Amino acid sequence: MATKDDAGFRTLADQLRSWSDERVARLLTARPDLTTPAPHDFGQLASRAAVRASLSRALDTLTRLELFVLDALVVAGQTTAADVRSIILADAAAVDATLGRLVDLALVWHTRDGGLRVLSGVADALATGPGASGLRPRSADAPAPDVVAARLAEVSPAARAMLEHVVDAGGEATGGSARITVLPEDAATPAEELIARRLLVPRTGGGLLVAPGEVGLALRGGRTTTEPVDVVPPIAVTERSAALVDRTAAGAAFEIVRQVELLLDHWGAHPPHVLRSGGLGVRDLKAATSLLAVDEQRAALVVETASVAGLLGHRADADGNSVWVPTDAFDAWIAEAPAARWATLVRAWLESPRLPGLVGTRDPAGKTWNALAPELASYAMAEARAGTLQALASLPPGRVLAAATGLPSLVEQVAWHRPRRPRSRSQQVAWAMSEAAAFGVVGLDGLASYARVLVAGEDPVPALAVLLPEPVDHVLIQADLTAVAPGPLEAALARQLQLVADVESRGGATVYRFTPGSVRRALDVGWTAVEVHRFLGDVSRTPVPQPLTYLVDDTVRTFGTVRVGHAEAFLRADDESALSELLHHPQARGLGLRRIAPTVLISTIPVEVLLPRLRDLGVAPVVESPDGTVQVLRPDVLRARTPKDRGPSLRSVRGSARVASVVAAIRSGDRVAAARPTTPATPLTPSGALAALREAIEARVTVLIGYVDNQGVSSERVVDPRTIEGGSLQAYDHRADDVRAFAVHRITTVRPLSSPA
Amino acid sequence: MNTGPLIVQSDKTLLLEIDHEQAAECRKAIAPFAELERSPEHVHTYRLTPLGLWNARAAGHDAEQVVDTLLTYSRYAVPHSLLVDVAETMARYGRLRLEKHPVHGLVLASNDRPVLEEVLRAKKIAGMLGNRIDDDTVAVHASERGNLKQALLKLGWPAEDFAGYVDGEAHAIALDETEWHLRDYQRQAADSFWHGGSGVVVLPCGAGKTLVGAAAMAHAQATTLILVTNTVSARQWKDELVRRTSLTEDEIGEYSGTVKEIRPVTIATYQVMTTKRGGAYRHLELLDARDWGLIVYDEVHLLPAPIFRMTANLQARRRIGLTATLVREDGREGDVFSLIGPKRFDAPWKDIEAQGWIAPADCVEVRVTLPTPERLVYAVAEPEERYRLASCTHEKIQVVRDLVAAHSDQPTLVIGQYIDQLDELAEKLDAPVIKGETPVKERQRLFEAFRSGEIGLLVVSKVANFSIDLPSAEVAIQVSGSFGSRQEEAQRLGRLLRPKEDGKTAHFYTIVSRDTVDADFAQNRQRFLAEQGYAYRIVDAEDLPA
Repeated sequence: MATKDDAGFRTLADQLRSWSDERVARLLTARPDLTTPAPHDFGQLASRAAVRASLSRALDTLTRLELFVLDALVVAGQTTAADVRSIILADAAAVDATLGRLVDLALVWHTRDGGLRVLSGVADALATGPGASGLRPRSADAPAPDVVAARLAEVSPAARAMLEHVVDAGGEATGGSARITVLPEDAATPAEELIARRLLVPRTGGGLLVAPGEVGLALRGGRTTTEPVDVVPPIAVTERSAALVDRTAAGAAFEIVRQVELLLDHWGAHPPHVLRSGGLGVRDLKAATSLLAVDEQRAALVVETASVAGLLGHRADADGNSVWVPTDAFDAWIAEAPAARWATLVRAWLESPRLPGLVGTRDPAGKTWNALAPELASYAMAEARAGTLQALASLPPGRVLAAATGLPSLVEQVAWHRPRRPRSRSQQVAWAMSEAAAFGVVGLDGLASYARVLVAGEDPVPALAVLLPEPVDHVLIQADLTAVAPGPLEAALARQLQLVADVESRGGATVYRFTPGSVRRALDVGWTAVEVHRFLGDVSRTPVPQPLTYLVDDTVRTFGTVRVGHAEAFLRADDESALSELLHHPQARGLGLRRIAPTVLISTIPVEVLLPRLRDLGVAPVVESPDGTVQVLRPDVLRARTPKDRGPSLRSVRGSARVASVVAAIRSGDRVAAARPTTPATPLTPSGALAALREAIEARVTVLIGYVDNQGVSSERVVDPRTIEGGSLQAYDHRADDVRAFAVHRITTVRPLSSPA
Repeated sequence: MNTGPLIVQSDKTLLLEIDHEQAAECRKAIAPFAELERSPEHVHTYRLTPLGLWNARAAGHDAEQVVDTLLTYSRYAVPHSLLVDVAETMARYGRLRLEKHPVHGLVLASNDRPVLEEVLRAKKIAGMLGNRIDDDTVAVHASERGNLKQALLKLGWPAEDFAGYVDGEAHAIALDETEWHLRDYQRQAADSFWHGGSGVVVLPCGAGKTLVGAAAMAHAQATTLILVTNTVSARQWKDELVRRTSLTEDEIGEYSGTVKEIRPVTIATYQVMTTKRGGAYRHLELLDARDWGLIVYDEVHLLPAPIFRMTANLQARRRIGLTATLVREDGREGDVFSLIGPKRFDAPWKDIEAQGWIAPADCVEVRVTLPTPERLVYAVAEPEERYRLASCTHEKIQVVRDLVAAHSDQPTLVIGQYIDQLDELAEKLDAPVIKGETPVKERQRLFEAFRSGEIGLLVVSKVANFSIDLPSAEVAIQVSGSFGSRQEEAQRLGRLLRPKEDGKTAHFYTIVSRDTVDADFAQNRQRFLAEQGYAYRIVDAEDLPA
């Protein structure tokens, strides 16, 4: 606690005004809702800090200990720090530190008589959530604790039991037939015994009896609770070798990066539609599950993460329908090393409010939640993730959650840190854990070493990179026309290989299969037979098997037998029988083919339609450009623009800049309030205003002007007038901390400030 | 970073790098629970399937062992979801048990009540069960033992069968090992079958499955019913049994289209068992004709559907299935598992080849180009005609002639699908032909002559595909096949793989017409060969050394 606070203040506003700018800024950072819109002065800031909604938000960020300290202040009424310490069952130093934090949050302030006072709305806000003792406030004329204790000792066991019940049930009871004016010796019932000793106090009107705070304290041995409130519940753990945890987690980390890449790569060429409601269709998600060979939850996580990481966006396709496609950031992402890619994904995931865990379940109306649906988010989710990882990070390396009891104990600890979070927390923590496992942030229910670095706010990439499999630069090609890459292939190599071969199985290793179709695909984009052979010879660590060499040669032999022209849509081939075959093919009827020469066919349909249908029929045509050379076709791949979000660092820079400007604005408003002229304002004509302003320019004084802005809202500004030109006043605006222009005809009043600000 | 030989993929395939120093021990460790899918020269692919995992459970392995094996040998981190899946799948086997209750007879029992409740609520199961005896036990109609096992497998809760077997009518059978000896793996196979009760033994063609059957009979010491694919194969079983066991010709009966004998050991063909007359199976009485103590199923992967239904009623008798592969083209592996039993023994081809029990093979595909007139005919032909046209091109005949000439001193088989083509080949090559219409006596005479070396060249149709032992064949030339069935390829190659006296390499030629459906089908076959680890070459007919 700052020492000058101890002097005390008349109001909370006074206390805030006395703070340094830096301390005010801290408050505004901790309670960001106070800055929008910027308060005019400290009075407004103080009153806004006491608004119920704002209080409730502030309380949501408190730990169990902090809530109970607040609660003790409510019970005690305005009191001293020492008194608070005496009625809380917790370590005194912890209570002091907590009080300091509560003052910083403007939930508690120092009164002039050296006491502490809690904001009046806090009691109500506390009562609606956990973290309250349930005791009533102490009565103003409370007798000394030993007096209350003595009275308690006098009552019968039945009366004491009744009193305990009333206190535990919220401190209120109905009097019933009990007489409310009775002397201790006349008391006939337990209720009357209590009333006679003022252990239950009748409330005026309504027949309600109330157990005052001092009675509750006495019952609980002088404290607000019988259990200590500063004990963080421990997490149930077992031992696991840290190396094994890292290995398992790194495996998962590698897997998720691969899955995001695979899915987006696929969607780049085959984008799924955006639902009218904004999400991803169930069928498209199903397709993703089979593409990735994972379950639906996992596929949803992959999709959602890609989206929050800015790798997936939407744009209109050729038909004008909105489709999900990778963004251009995806191309940059894919060029990075796997560890760096992982870090991008995980950071986005940590910050994201999305709830992939709900995908596939039904909302209260019975409608299935779609992945990427805009409503599928909860403000508490990012906090649940952070809380979960923080709690795990508090465990030493080599300790992981115990098999059955680990998760519930983790939930309990997270609950201790944020008692007022929603009821779905245990579910959110469970989601956070399973998502973290999918991301390889945790492995075997323990935090991986590199994730520890991440949680600590540092760069996890170097630590992770050494755990990921080394990229390999070769494959093993086998006689069954498969190639096995015994590890992750270098990105460039993988892309080339994917062109000449189909992928059959993915994972740590990749299995490729060569087919005539896949080889033809390579030829289609312009590879020559020599290039294919050389490529295979280069990447294969083992001799290229003869059947594969034969396959390539055989494909090249038939490749381009048929050539298709643009201008006339002609088909020509040196091989007459190939043309006959095509002409007589039962499925070729719709192509409108006609033989115009032994080696030339023509078609009546456009080349774009013709080409794929010819390929369907098993011919391998190449397209000729007008000058007779072979034209090379490359499949189009779609990209969208990266969404505007600039990431957490930029946000925080902007956030602090905003906080600073708000502080300046509050200061200026406060000066206005302090130096407000006592004379009432008289409306001026524009010429009167001009005169007054000129006068102020000459005298170099600060004036308070009434100004009507573009929207017709009238406000008061404190300005130092500089010049007047063409009906416009240039003046330094204290609130904006900058020189602004004001239209003279909109200035309604001009008054000099009574004292220089 | 680990350096193990195994890569575990998230799609449940396991890749084993066989040049790795730990490869051999790793293969041993994973063989009990993973199905070998393909075994080309560098990297073998195994797959984890529920059936494979349950087979492992039946053989006494538990999930922890499986997970431990995967973690020990895996080069990269094993996907966590896969490990969870393995544990869950394996835990499903044996939750339900079929047992013999002293009072209530056959019962279904479980310690896991929710599972039992789930199963009892299944509609398909309802009719098979009797009264609930207590919370964990429910009576089963004795007649539904097989059907229940099938249905439970479909529900994903395969039952372990502890209900035991009837002994059957005793009959003394002993192996007569005076001139030969049971090979080690054959003995192991028969022993593991016997300890397991019922089940399937998987051995490659030519590895001596008949003898495993004989050894199983010697264990059973009871009357035996043997079901085989066709009559020729039935005769071969009979000869083999007479030669290798104490059984005499009179003790062995044949039950086929022509002969209907019922003896202590009876060999019946699938065909006769599945013959229907007037909408009813006429020969079911055979199953009850004697109190069989053992039933042998030859070539389980070909078992026709009606036999499955009959087998469902034979669950109280010991059953042994013999096959070269558990892969069925119709995907009924689950029925084999639940009705005949889990896999009891398995040895990969290459291992047995390495031990010298089957001959190495050199596979060559020869491509011929259709002459232009034939191509034109082919081009305008109806789709259903195309395959025949492509595979029966006259170009092939010349190639066959060249090949036969090149291997003139080696016993050679020419195998084909189309009778016209075979007849023409037989004429051109001046060799005898065996086809469907050839009488069984004549077939046996020719096979015998070929075996003894009297005939060096034989043209055969698909009747020779199964279970006919022609150990002396060194060269096979395939001119056409039935649309690229992997089964057929295995069988035809099997013809060649009986060990040669001097360890010579067998030659397997396939002649294929380029740029036709013939070549497309051939690709399936090649793939199968390459996946079995047989390196093959492709040559153009023009490049053949004449």
